[in-house]
Amino acid sequence: MIHVENLTYAYPTGTGPALRGISLDVPEGQFLALVGSNGAGKSTLCYALSGFVPHFYNGDYTGRVVAAGHDVGNTKLGDLAGEVGLVFSNPFNQITGACYTVREEVAFGLENLGVPREEMILRVEDAIEMAGLGGLGDRSPYALSGGQQQRLAIASVMVMNPRVLILDEPTSQLDPVGSREVFELLDSLSRNGGATVVLVEQKLEWIAVHADRVIALHEGQILADGDPRGVLASAEVERMGVGSTRYTQAARRFRRREPKEVDGILPVTLEQAAEYLGP
Amino acid sequence: MTSSLSLYAPRESGLHRLHPLTKLTSALLGVVAGIALPGVWPNYAVFLLLLVPLAAWARVLPDFGRVVIKIALPFALSLFVIQGLFWTGGTPVVEIGPLSFKAEGLYFAAKTTGRILVVMGSITLFVLTTRPDQLMIALNQRGIPKTFTYVLVSAIQLVPRFQAKANAILDAQRARGLETEGGFVQRIRALLPVSIPLVLGSIVDVEERSIALEARGFSHEGPKTSYQVLVDTPIQRVARPVMMLGAVALIVGAIFVW
Repeated sequence: MIHVENLTYAYPTGTGPALRGISLDVPEGQFLALVGSNGAGKSTLCYALSGFVPHFYNGDYTGRVVAAGHDVGNTKLGDLAGEVGLVFSNPFNQITGACYTVREEVAFGLENLGVPREEMILRVEDAIEMAGLGGLGDRSPYALSGGQQQRLAIASVMVMNPRVLILDEPTSQLDPVGSREVFELLDSLSRNGGATVVLVEQKLEWIAVHADRVIALHEGQILADGDPRGVLASAEVERMGVGSTRYTQAARRFRRREPKEVDGILPVTLEQAAEYLGP
Repeated sequence: MTSSLSLYAPRESGLHRLHPLTKLTSALLGVVAGIALPGVWPNYAVFLLLLVPLAAWARVLPDFGRVVIKIALPFALSLFVIQGLFWTGGTPVVEIGPLSFKAEGLYFAAKTTGRILVVMGSITLFVLTTRPDQLMIALNQRGIPKTFTYVLVSAIQLVPRFQAKANAILDAQRARGLETEGGFVQRIRALLPVSIPLVLGSIVDVEERSIALEARGFSHEGPKTSYQVLVDTPIQRVARPVMMLGAVALIVGAIFVW
């Protein structure tokens, strides 16, 4: 579903490449999490997968990105919309400003794609329900809480039935309640499958449970790539500023104290920790 | 925060239900009528016998009255005082000490006030009863590019948010000890720490909103559809060109007849 081949990219105003020789393949339906410290290239990679790099940001671009069957570098943004969906951190800036109700906001993308109205009505209602915004359809998007606005942003993209959904830190600007609301929605997205999902997220405990695969980026390069436990329990990944889950930290402290008691790969989830530290 | 620059007053009324282009055309006719009608009384008649009843029918009379008074009253007062007192020559009708109001000046003020009432009243009635996004759809359906109409409609909703952001920055800088009160120099000095984060933040906002719009297929080529249905009727389809002809007739009348 996603194929990236030796991608190197530098922003026009940047001091050096934001991405260096990235190559990866993401099969259909996979839930991939990207982790990394600030400036690691996570957002840039999201923009590259959705076509905003190079079409929106320009800059020096070499390599090849194929997403949902489109050669991203040679496909117009308007043609990628609907195939590759992008949600980013600021919910407020994702509201179009041209719609007066939640329903119309969700329908905005379908209107641009020329979807017939009868079909649009059904898809809008489904997306609103999926996002847990039922009953708020006639409300102004500006009258919603941050968490509701972010779920609206996700619904507005999901309604277009993208084959690839990219979420760039969708909870980073939300309060704890708003974050929980969005995570509940992401929970159902990961359970229901369907679209291939690429998620940038700092909440490692959530990633450890829900992601199929984790890629750690550092200074524009892939530092580690594998299953959540293999990547998130890695001491090198932690050292590069990614951090680690509270279960990994607890197990590491325990191992330091009782070196003979436990061994093997550190846990990254509660279940793994129970098994790791268990009797 | 739900405020918007739009004056639209949501009500259930026949005027609200009219097609946005019908209302736009009638507002245009009102503006032309306000400027072109001769004498004093025709404009007052249009205002009192047509616009006010229409506002009542649309259930927006209090909003209509508020907006018209707020805009027309200061104009009217200054017109009557200045034109009445300083009309050169003319016939004095009221004398208060050394001041005398001239009949010709008062006539001119009354005529101009009538024009303002009809022009402002027509526009006010239009914006009170027309949702900007529906006007955008109607204009898009007539071939006006979506980029153009989007800028207009989004500005109505986004400018108040921009103001809120400016206030938040102002409060944040005050909390850091920035003096924003005082003399002219003090205020100018305070402008920089407020305007720089505002401008830079707004550039980021615009960039992010552009990305969000593109992700929703804003530049997708091909025919667009609309979620909202704008009801148009045969009578309205006839009424619009008739009103346009009426506007042309008024212009011709103003130039060649009266």
